Amino acid sequence: MTLAQVEHSPIDWEGALVERARAGDTRAFERLYREHTGRVYGLCLRMTREPHTAEDCTQETFINAWRALAQFEIRSSFGTWLHRIAVNVALAKRRKAARDEPVPEVEVEEEAVEPDWTLETPVEVQEIEEAIGTLPEGARDALVLHALYGYSHTEAAQMLGVAEGTCKAQLHRARKLLRQRLNVEVG
Amino acid sequence: MTEQGPKDSVTTLRDLPQGIEPERDLWPQIEARIAGRGVDSAAPAAAGARRRGAPAPLRWLAAAAMVGCVAVGVWIGRSVLPGAAPAPLAPAARPVSGTVQVAWVSDPRYQRAHEALMRSLGAQLAALPPASRAKVMASLATIRQAKQELESALGKDPGNALLQELLVNTYQDEMRVLTDVREASDAGEGI
Repeated sequence: MTLAQVEHSPIDWEGALVERARAGDTRAFERLYREHTGRVYGLCLRMTREPHTAEDCTQETFINAWRALAQFEIRSSFGTWLHRIAVNVALAKRRKAARDEPVPEVEVEEEAVEPDWTLETPVEVQEIEEAIGTLPEGARDALVLHALYGYSHTEAAQMLGVAEGTCKAQLHRARKLLRQRLNVEVG
Repeated sequence: MTEQGPKDSVTTLRDLPQGIEPERDLWPQIEARIAGRGVDSAAPAAAGARRRGAPAPLRWLAAAAMVGCVAVGVWIGRSVLPGAAPAPLAPAARPVSGTVQVAWVSDPRYQRAHEALMRSLGAQLAALPPASRAKVMASLATIRQAKQELESALGKDPGNALLQELLVNTYQDEMRVLTDVREASDAGEGI
């Protein structure tokens, strides 16, 4: 190889930052935090519905991520990995809070047809966010991961620690409830 | 629950903003919690094995950075860079003809040091053992490609602070590798 030669494969900047963070570089980790904090906080906020709890979840997510960086597979998506941690943190917080007030399990029927989550008429963002916020936890979690963040049924189910069928059923339930609350068809 | 420039209304849930910025900066508390606490060392061998499997450009970039951090960061900090913090873009250093220049890169002291190192690089490389020479050349090629890609990306998004900082880091990495080569050559050692 000569000095003039330049490799043409694209450089994975995020991977480079992860490598530096793994070596103990907190500035590199801060850059990763700045890149991902919005999506992590957005997920936590939608799952917990409480800004202060979502902030705690976000902080805990990044602290857990820092401690577990050695276990991160460099070829996989750092964002998805963070989301998995965030979902675990949010679910753990919820379980802790629910110890005093157990929430009864809701029976849901499985849905064969997969909705594509389009609305027959435009709906204001604030209105739809509020409607999502009123959904029961299981339905909301599945909806947020699948319909908003684009995870497959399998991925969402794995993240939530439920069977894929349960995840689909929760989505069916979410669609039904959203249709009622927004008064529009959710296709 | 909105982020910068959200739509007012949507027709599909996928159009909802995925990112929502927290009302306050959460980093200081995170930093305080992780400060003085290394990355989990429970599985260093496994992590090392995974790192060995990383793509080549990434490995060399990391290698170049690691070499530089250990060896000559202090020299660069003292004699070339105006400060340890990332250099902001000076008004005169805004993108010109599609090329982004960071303020200290156009500093005559940096340019002189860089030119001197580049002039002697060929002879110094020749004095290195073949394995070290190959390592250095691969690192420099990766760093140069990184500079090009970052400058190109900054041409499209000049205000991106992350890209600016990465570019500064990349220039620093290059100087560190060049200085390492000079020192190793002077000492008659490999890298």
